[in-house]
Amino acid sequence: MPANNLLLSSSPNAFTGVDSRKIMMAVVIALLPTTVYGVVLYGVPALLVILTSVASAVAAEAAFRALIKQDVRVGDLSAVVTGLLVALISPPSLPLWMAALGSVAAIIFAKEFFGGLGANPFNPALIGRAILLMSFPAAMTTWHAPFGALTDATTAATPLNVVKMGGSVADVGMQIAGSSDYGTLLWTLFVGNRSGCIGESSILLILVGFAFLLALRVVNWVTPLAMVGTTFVLSWLLGMDPVFGVLSGGVVFGAVFMATDYASSPITPMGKLIFGAGAGAITAVIRRFGGFPEGVTYGILLMNAVAPFLDKLRVKKYGYVPAPKPAKPAKEAGK
Amino acid sequence: MSTKTFRGGAHPPERKHRTEELPIEYLTQVKEVVIPVNQHFGAPIQPLVKAGDQVKRGQKIADAEGRMTVPVHASIAGVVKKIEPRLQSNNLEGLAVVIEADGSGAEDFMPPLDGFSCGKDEALARIREAGIIGMGGAGFPAHVKLAPPPNKPIDLVIANAAECEPYLTIDERMMAEKPTDLVEGMAIVMRVLGVAKGVIGLEDNKAHHLDALEAAIKAAARGADITVQLLKTKYPQGGEKMLITALTGKEVPSGGLPMDVGCVVQNVGTFCAIAEAFRLGKPLIDRGFTVSGGACKTPKNLVVPVGTVVSALVPEHIQLDEEAVRRVIYGGPMMGPSLPSWAVPVQKNTSGVLFLDASEAKVYAEGPCLRCGRCMKACSCRLSPALLNVSIKANDLAEAEEIGLLDCIECGTCSFVCPSHIQLVQRFRVGKQLLRAKKQKEAQRAGK
Repeated sequence: MPANNLLLSSSPNAFTGVDSRKIMMAVVIALLPTTVYGVVLYGVPALLVILTSVASAVAAEAAFRALIKQDVRVGDLSAVVTGLLVALISPPSLPLWMAALGSVAAIIFAKEFFGGLGANPFNPALIGRAILLMSFPAAMTTWHAPFGALTDATTAATPLNVVKMGGSVADVGMQIAGSSDYGTLLWTLFVGNRSGCIGESSILLILVGFAFLLALRVVNWVTPLAMVGTTFVLSWLLGMDPVFGVLSGGVVFGAVFMATDYASSPITPMGKLIFGAGAGAITAVIRRFGGFPEGVTYGILLMNAVAPFLDKLRVKKYGYVPAPKPAKPAKEAGK
Repeated sequence: MSTKTFRGGAHPPERKHRTEELPIEYLTQVKEVVIPVNQHFGAPIQPLVKAGDQVKRGQKIADAEGRMTVPVHASIAGVVKKIEPRLQSNNLEGLAVVIEADGSGAEDFMPPLDGFSCGKDEALARIREAGIIGMGGAGFPAHVKLAPPPNKPIDLVIANAAECEPYLTIDERMMAEKPTDLVEGMAIVMRVLGVAKGVIGLEDNKAHHLDALEAAIKAAARGADITVQLLKTKYPQGGEKMLITALTGKEVPSGGLPMDVGCVVQNVGTFCAIAEAFRLGKPLIDRGFTVSGGACKTPKNLVVPVGTVVSALVPEHIQLDEEAVRRVIYGGPMMGPSLPSWAVPVQKNTSGVLFLDASEAKVYAEGPCLRCGRCMKACSCRLSPALLNVSIKANDLAEAEEIGLLDCIECGTCSFVCPSHIQLVQRFRVGKQLLRAKKQKEAQRAGK
């Protein structure tokens, strides 16, 4: 006869098997190519920044959640992703304590204060970066040429910096590709052999990660495409070299890994489109008119603030497509 | 043939391989049946017999006046032992007629009726008197669907042969073994409605039955206007609205019925039952269903008298690893309810009885919403489950209604795909009740 250990709950009684942890793991794997390349470019110091940042992010989340007596859920790997992202958008010569501080700020101020996983209104890694950028502007803007020791002698301006300081695109070519040939410069930028943040330089490897995430359907293509596309078009309209603008700096990295952050970006398709376009536009405007050479951080953070409103742009529901019901004129009039 | 489909949906593991090749087993000799009086969607009906009465197989034992009512018949010959509340497959207790077999096998069927020469009202009356309800699960009275108001012209009769729920294979077997019944039932329904076109919507995981179906259509005297359309294998392809959209491209308006877009949809089993009600005069007293699940050692497709208590079939006809059973589901795993016991009768709308083991019946803790948007992509009604969840949790029912709470068909795809195991559809069910209660209250207040 029927056993008494039967489970009772409302249907459905099936599950895909893709859980939060697997999604975060996919993001980590997608970040690996550019992470490894960052270590190849800058050696042990970059590796130490990465390890410090990840470790302090995980430790901060565990400690904070334990402190406020919530379930410690570092197993979902979201803190690993945040820590890794903070490291990848930092310069390789960043002092380790600053890297740790950035990660801790990202986790505690940007994420846990708002309720933890899924509840952060702003991208935690970008908040961490913004805090570091304001607190330690020098350390956060000291760049080094790839494939060398990170000493004072090897500091090198980023391509966007060179242009911001009045240099030409050809100057950048001479600096990083050793040639004023435009095609060579673009190829060098695409491969990523240039100074910059640890993980942002190689467009090629970022796209590899993007393809991986798209194949697993972890991220959508709307936001990144809208962001990069808008940066491209607006750079062009504002009189900057659009191809150079997209290949240098962090716009591709930001579009693929930051603007697609689930919690801080809109969830609806139309919202994603506007979010991406807005972030791209702000990036281009900051690059052209702002005091900083790069505007990706603030472009995304500012759009994060708008994301909840963009969620109002929902798709048409099933059964509403042919015509709105004429039975509701009162509601229309009330609006 | 190209396959058609709808937007959204998901692919739960099909798990049909254990039973899809097995011929249906017919079981007529059962010692006792427990026949719930109210198995249909609509107004309640009353028993017509009392304890001690002798009943024949096919004799009407419960009925009532009213449009949304369907009678219930004795599924075996015997003596009414008692009439008392019993647990039904919807997890609620309801009045049931308990009949003990006397072994006489006495039958009381209606006279056969030619569905192609009788009057329209006569045909509708036959379908009602045969106690036929939608056999896909919802149990909507069949004759009501076939008598739409005059301002809703119908131009298409659809046979729902999607069978998109995992495990279930009974419709597939019915099609394979009784394709002529399916075609005949459709032809009768098309005649009753005065509709010239019929289509069988078949998921492409059952495409190997296509030839047999088309042969049956060709062989049938009145099958000329029926076609078979392959559909992409995707849950919830067999949802009435999704099926209509896949086949016609039209969307059933919010709050509306299939007849609003000129369609009548019936399940394969319903058409077969209609065919038998005319040809044999036999009411809906036998029900085919799939027995499966990891804890079931003898998965099979079985036809039993309506009211057969499943536990009475163990172990003679169904062998279980009783220790391993963790969940008992009447219906499919995506929408079927979990029951606290399998001492529950098979009803007219029972399409499967599943005995799931621990690996199939996992229970997860609800995690935080990542806002990954998987539910939004999967929602077959294009609602925003993640946002609905937030508004219901915040008790903002007005917002939930605007997002489309009442348009949810409760297919469960959102909960199926959620990486955080959030009980989305479960919460929407509760939310719907709260919203309806709130509306009722407001209506009452406005009425005062």
